[in-house]
Amino acid sequence: MTTQTLTDEALKAEVTAWLADHWKPKAGDQGAGFGLHPHRDFMAKVVEARWAVPTWPMEWYGRALSSAQAKIIEKAFAAVGAPGAGQDRSNLWANTAMAHATPAFKRTIVPALLRGEVGMCLLYSEPGAGSDLAAIRTRADHKGDHYVVNGQKVWTSGAAVADYGMLVARTDWDVPKHKGISFFFLPMKQPGIEVRPLRQITNEAHFNEVFITDAIVPADNMLGPLNNGWGVLQTALAYERSVMGDAARGPRSGQDNPKGDSALVELAREAGRLNDPVIRQEVAQVTAYKVLNRLNNARAKAELAQGNSSPIMSLGKLAMSRILHEEARLRSKLLGAGSLLEGPDHPRAEDANFLSLNAYFTSIGGGTDQIQRNIIGERVLGLPKEPEVDRDMAFRNVRSG
Amino acid sequence: MSAITAEDLSVFVEQLKRLLADRSSEAEVRRLSETPEGYDPAVWKALADLGVTGLIIDEDHGGFGGDAVALELVMEEVGAALLCSPLLSSAILAPALLQALDDDAAKARLLPDLASGAKIATVAITGASAGWIEAHVAVDATAIGADWSLTGKAAFVTHAHIADVLLVVARAPDGVAVFEVDPKAAGVSLTNLPTFDHTLRMSDIDFAKVSARRLACNGSAWQAVEAMLDLALIALAGEQAGGSRRVLEMTVDYAKNRYQFGRAIGSFQAVKHMAADLLMDSESCTSAARHAAQCLASGSDEAPSAISLAAFACADAFSAITATSIQMHGGIAFTWAHPAHLYLRRARADAHLFGSSDFYRERYVQQLGG
Repeated sequence: MTTQTLTDEALKAEVTAWLADHWKPKAGDQGAGFGLHPHRDFMAKVVEARWAVPTWPMEWYGRALSSAQAKIIEKAFAAVGAPGAGQDRSNLWANTAMAHATPAFKRTIVPALLRGEVGMCLLYSEPGAGSDLAAIRTRADHKGDHYVVNGQKVWTSGAAVADYGMLVARTDWDVPKHKGISFFFLPMKQPGIEVRPLRQITNEAHFNEVFITDAIVPADNMLGPLNNGWGVLQTALAYERSVMGDAARGPRSGQDNPKGDSALVELAREAGRLNDPVIRQEVAQVTAYKVLNRLNNARAKAELAQGNSSPIMSLGKLAMSRILHEEARLRSKLLGAGSLLEGPDHPRAEDANFLSLNAYFTSIGGGTDQIQRNIIGERVLGLPKEPEVDRDMAFRNVRSG
Repeated sequence: MSAITAEDLSVFVEQLKRLLADRSSEAEVRRLSETPEGYDPAVWKALADLGVTGLIIDEDHGGFGGDAVALELVMEEVGAALLCSPLLSSAILAPALLQALDDDAAKARLLPDLASGAKIATVAITGASAGWIEAHVAVDATAIGADWSLTGKAAFVTHAHIADVLLVVARAPDGVAVFEVDPKAAGVSLTNLPTFDHTLRMSDIDFAKVSARRLACNGSAWQAVEAMLDLALIALAGEQAGGSRRVLEMTVDYAKNRYQFGRAIGSFQAVKHMAADLLMDSESCTSAARHAAQCLASGSDEAPSAISLAAFACADAFSAITATSIQMHGGIAFTWAHPAHLYLRRARADAHLFGSSDFYRERYVQQLGG
């Protein structure tokens, strides 16, 4: 292989030609999700052709390319809408396994993950461990060549179709909470796993509760050393955050919604409220929140490109939370009593009400706004942490409820 | 396009930063706030020598030809240091207006002295209704042969008390025009106003049959005034961005070092969360100010709406940050001796000069098609 010395132009030509030969999209195909990949056959070819993780080493399906050259490949895939490229940047599961799995487990799981052959889910949060994730009480007890897992997990997308769950479980109860956690790839298709859909405030069920009773996980499926799961989790969370981006969903009624910076102006006009000076002020203000967030992100990107770290990156999620709640509030206000209704005959109300409730997905999920403010205060502004009463206490003695 | 390279600009800003650290300390700001003039002529000279007074004046008239981007960056430093000076009036408003008009003789007569700092000029724009809109112009101009005579009132005129030249926006029979007036001319009477921001000087001016020189303008003179106001709003946005970041820094620093209940108050989430929200405001303020400057400098179609956005977003951010800063400091910031209120006063001035946030939100909606 002489790929490493290819010029950008030659690389672009090679990937473009390969895509022309191999990518045959079918009508109705879906993008990547938590379950099995809808383009598994194609994904296998992508991995074989070394387009999936081009910055990885040769022995791991890569080409040892620079990130800049990897971008060329990603762009070529994006241009034709083909999946499978850029997984060295975006495949949370494969990256976590690459970084921390045992050599033997890595051999089997990493290629399967890259090919989209295994469905994955996250087994982190518990009813008693939300913002305080290190307070998990799901236990993994060592029995010979495996661990026995018992406990309850929540907010798990894709649990019903997953082959493995990335699990954090307590393996030592006599040390402080961060120091007794281990990280596993838990096989999901076994009798000890029960998945129950969780009905959300939006009357949808995108998440599940997972009840784990005497489930078995081979010791070889542990990532990182015993009781070092908190460290592994940090790697996984960092990957998750880097690809999560704006996970918030837009309106769901199916009716066309105005787009762009004038969207709220158009909605106000449609609602017959554009002549109300108070509404006009609010339309300007909420639009401004959206535009300012865009400007902040653009500036952060430019600063990062110049090699300067930017405090703005950490603000994005908090900004988006405000935008979603404020836009939902204003859209409801524009409708007045119309927002008392819902359903397909009332698409604007359906959208406004859905957005009002779904905004909490962003302001609670992935760290509440309040936790986010702590992170900004501590990591960006350098303010001291709150004293933690359970920091140095054996977890067994930590109060819960 | 700016005549200044990006590299020269960053060197220039560094020099300005040092000058301001040296000559616009809190003690100096407080001292100058109590003087009738409200500025230090020696510092004005130093600013002129550095090139700040001639920053936006074209090179043919002794300036540096700096664009909106350069101006915005300079004003970030000025805002952080709460500089007491007639910069806004004499280095921004007056030259911006002269350069938006078409009177070559007036440019040749006035701009070199403004660039060198030898003369101070200001612009009388609005009447007492103080909307900085065409309808609020409250001075009337009458032709007397080849000369003009002004009668009426101008309000909230910045730095008129030290001005050598007044540029007056007045209503002539054929529409709004700009007139050059000698502030010492017969019929000009200044009433200097007590200002909430002690670093600012403002006057009401009464014109009673004042002899004036009409400045040539090929198109609408009010459009020239609006071009001036656009640049002034960007300057204020820069000042607000620089001031915001300085106040946030000061406040966070205090929250790290002030101990109550045996711990730094910044460790309390009630305080920490306020700080996080202020960071959002201050970063958004900086982004809005710089974006507006870039849009204007590059002649983007987006410039008018970007300027409106900066006008209200930066005004509101600086106001919120300075107000919350006082609350976060607690008792110490309720004292005259603490600088927090100096910034709050400047934020008030910046938020109301040239139109309110509500005014610019309304204009923004119109620009979005509403």
